[in-house]
This record gives sequence, C-alpha cells and structure tokens, in this order.
Amino acid sequence: MRETIAVAILQLICVFGSAQDIGSYLGDESFMYAETKQVNQFFRRFNSEEDLNGKRLYKGDPNYRSKTFRANYIKMLFDRENKDITEKLKNDFIKDVADGPSPAFLDYYGGRWFAEVDAKFIYNGEPRTVVLFLELEKENLGIKWVINSVYFYPFTKMFFADSTALTKFLHPMSHELDFMNLIKVFNDPNTVEYYFDEDFKPDFKTLFLYEVKQGNLKFETIEKVSFHFFQLNNWYFQLKEFNRQGNNSGWLISSISKIPEDQKGMLLKYIHYEK
Amino acid sequence: MNKSNIFLSLLLIFGVAISALAQPEISPERKQAIDSLALEKVKDLGKYISIIGNKDTPFSEANRVIDRALELFADDSQMGVSSLNRTEIEYYGVREYFQRLMALNYDRVKIDWFNIQYISDLVRQPDGRYVGVITVYQRFTGETDDGMKYVDTTKKDITVYVERKQTQIQGRVIGFWDVLLGDIRVTETKPG
Repeated sequence: MRETIAVAILQLICVFGSAQDIGSYLGDESFMYAETKQVNQFFRRFNSEEDLNGKRLYKGDPNYRSKTFRANYIKMLFDRENKDITEKLKNDFIKDVADGPSPAFLDYYGGRWFAEVDAKFIYNGEPRTVVLFLELEKENLGIKWVINSVYFYPFTKMFFADSTALTKFLHPMSHELDFMNLIKVFNDPNTVEYYFDEDFKPDFKTLFLYEVKQGNLKFETIEKVSFHFFQLNNWYFQLKEFNRQGNNSGWLISSISKIPEDQKGMLLKYIHYEK
Repeated sequence: MNKSNIFLSLLLIFGVAISALAQPEISPERKQAIDSLALEKVKDLGKYISIIGNKDTPFSEANRVIDRALELFADDSQMGVSSLNRTEIEYYGVREYFQRLMALNYDRVKIDWFNIQYISDLVRQPDGRYVGVITVYQRFTGETDDGMKYVDTTKKDITVYVERKQTQIQGRVIGFWDVLLGDIRVTETKPG
C-alpha cells in the first residue's frame, strides 16, 4: 500500500506542470524535490535506488530497484520539452531497460559514459571554446576524471587544408641529394603535414598541452557540460542540466537514440568531431 | 566546533587505528553518520553566511565569523558562481566570496535556507580520501531603504571531503572520520 501511495505521489509530481499545483502538499520546496539535482541523483533515480525524499536505498530494502518505481522514475528523467523524444521512444526505452526479464541499470563505475565540457580559453588574446572530453579512470583504490580527448577548432584548420596536396611529396631519389629538398618542405609551414607518413594523425591533446604550457591558451571558465551514455545495450542518450521552472528540471535526458551496438563506434567518432 | 558537532564526532569515533591512506570501505550505516556530520558542517556554513550577510553584524564580528567559516574548508577551495543571465562560471576564493557578501550594498539582507538537501554517494579518490556533494538551496533577499528589493534563489552544490584520521587520547590511538568542505558551485535557479 505504501508503495502505491508513493508511486501516486511521484506521478503527481510528473503530471503537474507547476509547483503551485502541489504547493499545498509539498510546500515551497516541491520543485526542488522533483528536480534531478545531481548526476548522482540521475543514476539513483534511473536505477530506483532512492526513495521520494532522496534517501539512498540499499540492497535488502524492499524498494531497492523496485520495478514499479523504476518505470515512473525513468519517465521523469526525460526533457519533456523535447518533442523529438516521443512517447513511443520513451516507452520502448523503458520497456527495454526496466520492464524486460533482465533489466539494465546504470553503473557509475561501469565505463562507457563520459563528459563533454565546453570551456572558454583565451587563445592569442581572443576568447575561444575548447571542447574537453573527460572519462573516469581508476587509480589505486580510487577513481578520478581525466581528459581523454580535446577538440579545438583552430587546430583543425592547421592540417590537411591544402587542395594541391598531390604535389606535396619528397621524390624517391631525394636521398641521393642529402635531402637538400627538405628546404622546400619547411618553407611552407601550412603544408608540412603532407610530407609525413600516411598514418600521421595530428594529436590535438598534445597540441593543446603545448599551447597551454607555452601560455598561448589560458583557461577562463566553463560554458557548458553534458554527458554521453553508451552503457545500455542498443541505446545511447545524452544528459544535460535544465535550469528552469517547474518539476521537469535538473539533469535530464536531452536526446536519446536506439542504436545497434556495432554502430556506436560511428556515433562516438561523430561526438568527438572525428572524421 | 559546536555541541552537536562534538556529539556527532564522538558518535563517529571508533577504537580501530587505521592509517590515513588505507581508508576503509564505508558501510551504509557509517555513511549515514558521515552524512549527518557533513550536514552539520553545511548548516554551520549556512549560519555563518547569514551572520556575515546581516547588516547588523559589526565589521569586526563579521571578520571573526569569516575566519571561523574558513575553518570548515579545505585549502584552495573556491566558489564558482553563475546567474540566470550569465551561465558561465565566475570564480572566487572562499574568503573573497564572504568579503563580497559582507560588502553588499543593501540596508537589509535576509538569507533563508530551504528545508531540503540532497547528499550524493561518497566516492573514493586516488589519494584514499572520499568525496561527495551536498546540494542545498538558499533564498537571498536584499532591501534598500528607498524600497529597492532584490531576491534570488540559488542552488549550492558543496564538495565534501571525508577522511579517516587518527588521534591519540590518553595514550590510546583512536580513529575518526573527519569532514571538510571544498569547492562550491553556486547556480541561480528559477524557483517554482
């Protein structure tokens, strides 16, 4: 019975658009209860590992990972203003992860989820956005966030941007001339990369570090943060924070796609701005 | 340390000596006790903020309270502040943040805390300490004598560091959990 009442309250929070509607029940704090306040809470709600007051539930508690709670919790976790996330898509997702015989849960330590951070830097005197990708990495008995990929638009313009690339090579008898023709290679810094081996791929992480250490890139502030989840089989979703009125706020699923596992690599490359 | 803090600290004291780096796993029961201690520190911070922001607090007293408040924090802690109009984070040292609060140009300042807090899991860092985040909400009201009124509601995500330490009392080594506050992210929210 208690569970039924709790689910009913949860549904009330989901259904009513404004805090005023339930103000008399939950008081001034209603929207704060409903808001998914931390990414940590997103994990807990998704897995149904906390009660309605945000109190952690542990293994052994009758409501821990409760199937009934879960479907309702997950429904709350979508950005309701995004019309691309259709009811059918939501229901398919919930059916897959919560209703089936082997429900899927999110695991903070399980990998296959990462952060995308837009950070403002000053680059040669101009404000520019650097996109940093961070993932969790274990060290000793603990864990930490590490930067594992960097995207910076000006770097992309530095490489392979010459349309006359076919003429850029050191001819095969250059060795007989003590490679004296290298002077032509370095005379034009814009095309030097064409003289490198075919496996050469500019490493933006190293470039980024070099510019930071040279003092050419100076950190200013954080502009945006989102998270990409590839952890659930055949699903991908993005998590963003919505700072807005009403009960559909905080960390919510901002986009979601059903995607076969063997195609996730392509999506990963796309997210990382790789060709 | 106030009475409730001492009481909670005593609750958390255990007779097992463990080195600071070999941090033990935290059971759900222990986590609850640590959460309570961390919340006490957050409440203390709330009280200090209210005193510092209060225009009736004499300058010397406000400075003394700032020093007390800073004792709650780990070194180098910062406040990262954003507003509805400016979503980029602006950084302040904790002392600087308090001094700005003290210097606000309102004749009356009221700081209320909403009766809700959210406490994350505690996650072990590579150095063996645990880290968590407590989220609280605050309403700030500033009024001037000529009738100007400014109100905002902010969400404060407060870093909490938890560390197993040991001390000697009357020759006996005893372990206890120590809690320090860290960086605070302050976001202006749209209430309601």
